[in-house]
Amino acid sequence: MNLIFILNLILFIILPNPILSKEKEPIIVSINGLVCDFCARSIEKIFNKKQAVKSLNINLDEMRIIIYLKKGFDLENEMIIDLINNSGYDVVEINRDE
Amino acid sequence: MGLNIVIYIFIFFSFNSAQARPISYGGGWTLIQKNNYNQNSLYVHYSPSVNYSIGYRGEYWRKDHWQFHGAQLNYLLKRINKPKSQTNLYFKNGLGLSYSDNMELENKTEPSIFSGVVFDWEDRRFHTSYENRLQFSPKIQSFYNQKAKIGLAPYLGKYGDLHTWLMFQIEHIPNSNSKEVILTPLIRLFKGDILSELGYSNTGDFIFNFIKRF
Repeated sequence: MNLIFILNLILFIILPNPILSKEKEPIIVSINGLVCDFCARSIEKIFNKKQAVKSLNINLDEMRIIIYLKKGFDLENEMIIDLINNSGYDVVEINRDE
Repeated sequence: MGLNIVIYIFIFFSFNSAQARPISYGGGWTLIQKNNYNQNSLYVHYSPSVNYSIGYRGEYWRKDHWQFHGAQLNYLLKRINKPKSQTNLYFKNGLGLSYSDNMELENKTEPSIFSGVVFDWEDRRFHTSYENRLQFSPKIQSFYNQKAKIGLAPYLGKYGDLHTWLMFQIEHIPNSNSKEVILTPLIRLFKGDILSELGYSNTGDFIFNFIKRF
């Protein structure tokens, strides 16, 4: 009985867990004032300093950014708003399709 | 007289330059090197927050043979972020020393201050900007100047593309020893965190500006 429990525990640890290893859905943030590529570099520089951020996609046409997070990490809405404000812009809306 | 009225109207209805903003993002450094008909300058600033920046400004005014070296503090008075545009109003102040190597003021150094506002509005297609400066040092150099710029992006690039702006700059220096009005058509190019401007003024001089954001 103990052996089965230990084996299960080992399997749980070593095998990929579909719940724990699930990729986070990207976060889509609509932004006001996002009109200039050169100035929008600030968003990239600020977000890339965060450990949770895997990559960033900035879309000037649609005035929004898409944040891709690393596995097992999250970024609170308040933090996103702070980072955008510190880049010089205002958040309109944050969408998380989870 | 007629030309002066046109200049005042142009400047009055112009707003200022986004890419050369005096404040970066919180924690960001910016290096600005400019060369025009009369001046070479180096300006390095650090922005502790998105609301202000502090930095070193060094200028060499070639035709008048004097230099300014000092600290510059910029403060964001107002920013308006709209869905398709951004507007900024800044207040700038400088404090330092002026040094002259011009004839009777040869090797003279004295305290020097300046102050001014910087205003800009732009969307993805159009750009307008205005800035002024009141400079004072007891004997070496005191002046007032103002500058306005308008720009048009001939195409709308995506993030990461090479962006191009066709611009026209007008600078007004009342009581100048040379021309009072400097007209400069210029082209602005930027990609990533590097921006440069190249223009040719009615003084017969080229201008070249370079900005790198860290």
